[in-house]
Order: sequence, then C-alpha cells, then structure tokens
Amino acid sequence: MADTEERQRLLDEDGDIPSSRPINESGPGRPMSALCDPSRLLHRLVVLAFMCFLGFGSYFCYDNPAALQTQVIQDMNLNTSMFMQLYAWYSWPNVVLCFLGGFLLDRVFGIRLGTIIFALFVCIGQVIFAAGALLDRFWLMEVGRFVFGIGGESLAVAQNTYAVNWFKGKELNLVFGLQLSMARLGSTVNMNIMGWVYNRVAVLVGSVGHTTLGVSLMIAGATCIFSLICALVLGYLDKRAERILHKEHRGTGEVIKLTDVKDFPFPLWLIFIICVGYYVAIFPFIGLGQVFFIEKFNFSPAEARAINSIVYIISAPASPVLGFMVDKIGRNVIWVICAVFATLMAHMMLAFTFWNPWIAMSLLGVSYSLLACALWPMVAFVVPEHQLGTAYGFMQSIQNLGLALIAMAAGSILDQRGYLFLEVFFSACVCIALIAVVMLYFVDYLRGGDLNLSASARAKLHLKNSDSDSHITAIPSCSHWHTEVY
Amino acid sequence: MMAAKMFTIHFYVTFLLFTIRVSSSFIDYGENYRRNVSLELNPGLNSSLTPPPLGVGLIHVRALGQNDTLHYLFCSLGAPALLLVHTNSTSSKVEVDWPVFLSANASGSLRVTPESTVLHRNALIFTRLWEYSDVNDTAEPELLPFSSFFQPYELQNFTWGDLRKKLDPTAHTALLCGGDSSESFSNGSLCLKFSAFGSVGREKGWPSLLHNANSSQVRVWLDGVTPRSNRSRFSLELQSVGSTNPLTRVNVLQSIDDEYTPSIFKVAQWVSSPGNSSSPILSYAQWKPVAYRKASPVFEDATPCHHSTPVAIAQRPPSGLVLAYFGEGRQTTGLNITFSIAGDPFYNTTNYLSWTVLVGLGSPPVDSFSPLVLAIMAVGLGTPLLIILIGVVCVCVRKNRTQVQVYQPIN
Repeated sequence: MADTEERQRLLDEDGDIPSSRPINESGPGRPMSALCDPSRLLHRLVVLAFMCFLGFGSYFCYDNPAALQTQVIQDMNLNTSMFMQLYAWYSWPNVVLCFLGGFLLDRVFGIRLGTIIFALFVCIGQVIFAAGALLDRFWLMEVGRFVFGIGGESLAVAQNTYAVNWFKGKELNLVFGLQLSMARLGSTVNMNIMGWVYNRVAVLVGSVGHTTLGVSLMIAGATCIFSLICALVLGYLDKRAERILHKEHRGTGEVIKLTDVKDFPFPLWLIFIICVGYYVAIFPFIGLGQVFFIEKFNFSPAEARAINSIVYIISAPASPVLGFMVDKIGRNVIWVICAVFATLMAHMMLAFTFWNPWIAMSLLGVSYSLLACALWPMVAFVVPEHQLGTAYGFMQSIQNLGLALIAMAAGSILDQRGYLFLEVFFSACVCIALIAVVMLYFVDYLRGGDLNLSASARAKLHLKNSDSDSHITAIPSCSHWHTEVY
Repeated sequence: MMAAKMFTIHFYVTFLLFTIRVSSSFIDYGENYRRNVSLELNPGLNSSLTPPPLGVGLIHVRALGQNDTLHYLFCSLGAPALLLVHTNSTSSKVEVDWPVFLSANASGSLRVTPESTVLHRNALIFTRLWEYSDVNDTAEPELLPFSSFFQPYELQNFTWGDLRKKLDPTAHTALLCGGDSSESFSNGSLCLKFSAFGSVGREKGWPSLLHNANSSQVRVWLDGVTPRSNRSRFSLELQSVGSTNPLTRVNVLQSIDDEYTPSIFKVAQWVSSPGNSSSPILSYAQWKPVAYRKASPVFEDATPCHHSTPVAIAQRPPSGLVLAYFGEGRQTTGLNITFSIAGDPFYNTTNYLSWTVLVGLGSPPVDSFSPLVLAIMAVGLGTPLLIILIGVVCVCVRKNRTQVQVYQPIN
C-alpha cells in the first residue's frame, strides 16, 4: 500500500489531459437541490465522502496480519517467515500491476467498472484470506493475500482518478490530502482495533484458534464490503453526473512505455535505489513490529499495537506540514539525506538501546513523511514529462519487488537470528539508501543538476524556461496541494 | 516475587564504541583462557568390591588450569546435584569412601584433597518438579490455591538410568534420564544433560548460552510426560548449597543482544557473593528466562519463564553428594523456575519442555556482538562516509580546475 497516492498525485498535478468544462445544465428544466446537483459543492462533498471510504477497506485490511501477528502465528502454527509471506504475496502482483493498473482503468474497463472490479478483488481477496483461516489452510490465506494485492494497489489508482475527475481545478489538493489521511486512518484503526475484535470473537466462539481468527478476519472484511458499496454508489453518481453535466472522462494520464527504461538517467536509478532501500526498512518492520515491542520492551499487546501504528498516525498531520516546508525551501536532496539519516538513527536506537521506543518510532514517523514529500517529486526533475508515467510505474514496481523479497528475508532472519540481527539488517538497508542519496547529491552537484536547488532558484529557472518548454519545468511537488490547503 | 533486579543498559551508538566494547570483552572474560578437561565415572570405585546400586553414578570432571583446578561432580544419588569445587592447586584430588558414600550416613565420605587448597565450593541441586493446573491461565503458581497443585515429583525418588551408557568422555557430557514409577512417566522422562567446557564457545541449540573455561552447563528437559490435567504447567525447584556462600541473589540483566537466543533480551544470574551487590561474584547459575516446547525448537516454540525470590531453606537437601561433601556445616537456599507465561500453550500441546542453566565460577560470561553484526554496521556506516570524502575531494578538484580554466583566457 506503499505510495500509490504520492505517485498518482504527482502524475495528476501534471496531467495534461484536455478537460471539457462541465456544462452546467441543471436537468431538463427542473431545479435540483444542492445535494443532488453534481455541479454544486454540497453534492461533491457527498461524492468525496464515498471516495474517501472507497480506499478505507483495503487500507484497513492490508495490515490485518501485523495487527494480529501473534494470533495469526499461533492459530495457524506458522513461523515468522511463513507469516511474512502474507506480505510478500500482497506485493508480488503489484510488481506487474503498477504498470498495468492505469492502463486497465483507462483503456479496458473504464473508471467506473474498473473501480468496481478492483473493489471486488479486494473483497474476494479478504474473504479468501479469512476463509483460509477458518478452514485452517494457510495456502488459501496466501491466495487470498495475492488476490487482495491485485485489487488493493490498483484501487488506490482508481481512487485518485475519481478525485481528478471530480475535483480537478477545484479542491483537488484538499481531496488528495483527505484521501491520504483516510488511508492512514484506516491503517491506524486496524492496528488498534483488531486485537479487541479478536478477543471479543474469542469470547463468543469460546476458545482461541483458527476459527476465531477466521471470524475476526471476516469481520474485518466488512470494511471491504463497505468499500465495494462505495464503489457502486460512486459508479452510479458518476454515471448520473456524466448524464446531467455531459462530462467527459479523464483517464489516469499514464502513458507507460517500457522501452523508456533504457533511457533513464543515472540519478533516476539512484532515486530507485533510495526508494527500495528505504521502504523495505519501513513496511516489513511495521509488519513485524508488534511482537518486537512486546518481547524487547515488555509492552502489553495493546501498547505494542499503538506504538506500531504511530508511524501512520504521525504521517497524517506531518505530511502536509513537511510538504509545505519542502515546497517553500526546495533542496530536496538535503531533505532526503536528513530523512534517511534520521531513519537510520531510529533503527539503530531500536537495535542498540533500550531507550523508550516512542522516541525512535516518532522519529521514524516524521522521517517517513519527510522522505515521501521530498523523494517522490524528484523523479519529475530528472525525466522528461512524457516518461513520467513509466518512471513512477517502474519505481513502484521495483519497490514492490523489494518489499516482497525483503518481507520474506526479514521473516527468516528473525526466525534464525533474532531481533538484533533483524534491526541490523534493516539498518543495512537504510545504509544502502544513504549511500545512494549521498552519491545522488554529488552526482547532481557535479552534473549541475537542479535536484537540490532552493525553491527560489527553481522558480527563476522556471521563468527562464517557461517560454521554450513549459512541460519540462512544470515541476510537480508533492506539496502543491498542501500549500493551498493548510 | 520481585527479586532484586539490576538493569544494565548498553548503548552503542557509534562504531567506535562497538570496537572498544569488543576489545574490552576479550580481556574481561578471558576468551583465550583454556582448561584441560577430563572426565571419569565413579572415581576410585572398585566395582567388583562395592557394586553401586542401579542408577547411582558419580561423574567427576577435572578442569585443570595453569595454576588452579576446577572439580565438577555430578551425581544421581538422591536428587541430581552438581558440585563445583575450586582449588588453587593443580594436583588436588577427589577422594570417595565408597562404602560410606553409598550408606545411609554418608557424611564426610567425599573429600577434595588437600582441603587447604579449596578456595570455593558450591552445589546446585535439582530437587522437585511441581505440576499445577493453571485453571485461570495466569502462569503464576504463587497466586494459585494449594488445591491447584498436584503432588510434586520428588527427584530423589526417581529411578535414574545408567550413567555409564550415556557418557561421552571426549565431549565431556553425561546424560541422566529418569522417572518415578507413576503412570505419568510410563512413556516419558526427565533428563539432565551435563556438559563441562574447557574453552569459550556456545552450544548450537537454543538458548546457545555463552560458556567459558570456568563454566559447565545442565540442560533439563521433560519429554513425553503425561500431564495430570489438561491445563498443566510445570515448575522446577532448585536448591543451592555452600559452606559459607550459597547462591543468594538473582540479578536480572537486560541485554540488547538476542542474536543467539532470538527474542530473549534478559539474562538471569543467581549469584553467590560475600557481601552486598558490589562485591565480586564467587560463583553463579546463569540462565536465559526461556524454555523451549520442542526438542529442535523454532522461534515460536520459545516460552518465557520466570523465577521466584530465593529463600533460605532449613532442611537438608535430598542429595547424597551434598551430604557426603558438606556434612552438616552448610547453608541452603532455594528457588522455583516457572515455565511459560499467561496465554502460552499448556504442556500437553507438545509434551515437551527444555531449559538450560550454566553453572560456573567467577563472573558470569556476558554476550557481545557477533563479528558479522559488527562487520555489517562498519560497512554500512563506513561506506557513506567514504563516499562523502571522495565526493568532497572530487568537488574540490573540479573547483580548482574550473578556476584554472577561468583564468586561462586572460592570456
């Protein structure tokens, strides 16, 4: 569930798809209330609510295994590396789908049908996942996570496409912000509520075991059904708006050409390395975090779940603030160096000290948000705009590949060598990201690139070039939407 | 329940500190100190004259240092016991008066001579195995009513297997398995594996305690015993005997290093020291608070364990070895190790429990980071620094060159 939002947002900010002005015809002669009129703000807010909840289910269920780590492992008789397969199987389909998701939405299914199909995948995936637990068949749970993965990441693309369709040129930045916060909210609620759900089910069923786990996961699946309903309602509202407003549809704006990969400049490859090295030290860690805090820091399960969700909680409010800051100051490479270094410190604190882990986890949360704001926009500085879709698709694809591989590796490292070694391993991954970003700094410096320009210098450059080619310097930044909103 | 706990916290933030720590640990714990270890069964016994009763055996391990000797005596007469005697002579001997040793009043029948060379002596006795029905799943036997406890298994009443067949003189190990006549032990047994070591190392299987030339190890396991209830958990009673300083205080240290015992960040040390907590440790029993629920455990088979506060005990420990060596002038303390915590599976899920304790002289060994961890951190932190250095040099060189180019056109 890594960073589809960021990527999509960047694409959409630049998306240069011709839009037709909605023709404001309030139906054939009869006035509609503001609530029902697609051209009015109130109606769009209703749509926005459905849009936000569209992704809620998949974000909620993505981290179900992390929230129920001990229970899953105990009830299904797993070891940690088998447990981490659940995350790996989520990532595998997205190695390919990151290229295909936008294409499928634009050309094959269309946004409405596509969204419903992806939401269905999410639902069916979660149901298979829960059924696997009910029937005590672990392979079925893995199949469930695979199906869930097919839907999950693409659903995020669909969500963003809907947002562009309805809010482009209006409140788009706010909408992206809300969707991002909603995603984090889904993850946080999941982390903190699933343990309680499990305990209640255990009381009802009368004992713990795979049945209890299955029922709990089925209950979690209700959020996916809810998201599916949102997809259906959105489809209906969108169709209705199209009829009333004679609205034309914009696609995701993605043009993927795999042959572009060979033309990627060296700094882009460094950015890819940073992305993989960094994110593999975040998501698999959160997947394994709960038991780590229980075992090493003697936290209660509830406390452990709370601290494990702090990264998500912090990132909801910190992203806009940090985005605003990066946007105003520029110098993205320096920010990325700071974020990677802070993350390294956080992991080393967790590895080598008994300091209160809230310190390290808060640092991790802030640096994670900072990295997202500074790293993802850099791609647009180094590739021409027509390759942007391919670059982002590729970046996400190898990110998912990295996540799948590292999730498996992390599980077996923990099984064999314990938490200290696991944390050292994650630190080593961050070190690779650090090496790449330091290299990026010098390469950019020596090449005279504009990755690390301050915001004012960048604005001057923009002015100078705007006559010749506005596309290349139409610099996207993840925080464009923040500056208007917050 | 609350033992006096001492927490030491290690922080190592920089690689510099890593190296300092490792090099100091080499010195402190005598990594290179070696002892010449030899093992014999029933020392001085002429079995044709005095055949020992079935299941009684005395193992003597002599660990010869440069100018001292450690004697380990492991015995199955009565409750299994491990006696540690440290002498400042390289020629000290163990003398056993076998007819008396095997008689009812064995007091004084085992001696380490010359007695004036004895510096320190201590014994650890495995006396009782408690079984209780953990109806509320709390794993806190202290809080349970007396009715939850079953009749404890008295290890002095166990019939032990023949030590002669389970002896490995080259690896310096001995295996003692036994059980009582009750139905619970019809298919199962309680086993103790004693190992003595001549140098620093670790056993392969978890908990892989670090041992050195001054330590020996006993692994206790309970295999295939039929529990007397569906919610049975077990506790093991240990006693310590010394002429002046038995093991009195349990220190629980925190350790950030769980590389050899995954997910266990504590180590418990039951120590004998003459005075307060700052005085040197004479001898110790050290364990990680973990038991394993399978013979070849994986990560998830670990189950935590905890110990009760040591208390002084007035009765004579039920061990023939202790009586024979210490006679009446002795002090005894005891504690219980309780396996599992609330919520963990009961014994009947795997019918297996194993727990390991290290018994030795002087300060207990302390874990340090493995070379692999240090190497990874050194490379991981060193490479970015190196690149920064190279980068700065490149930038400087380039600046100089461009400056030269700027001035050239003047000519």
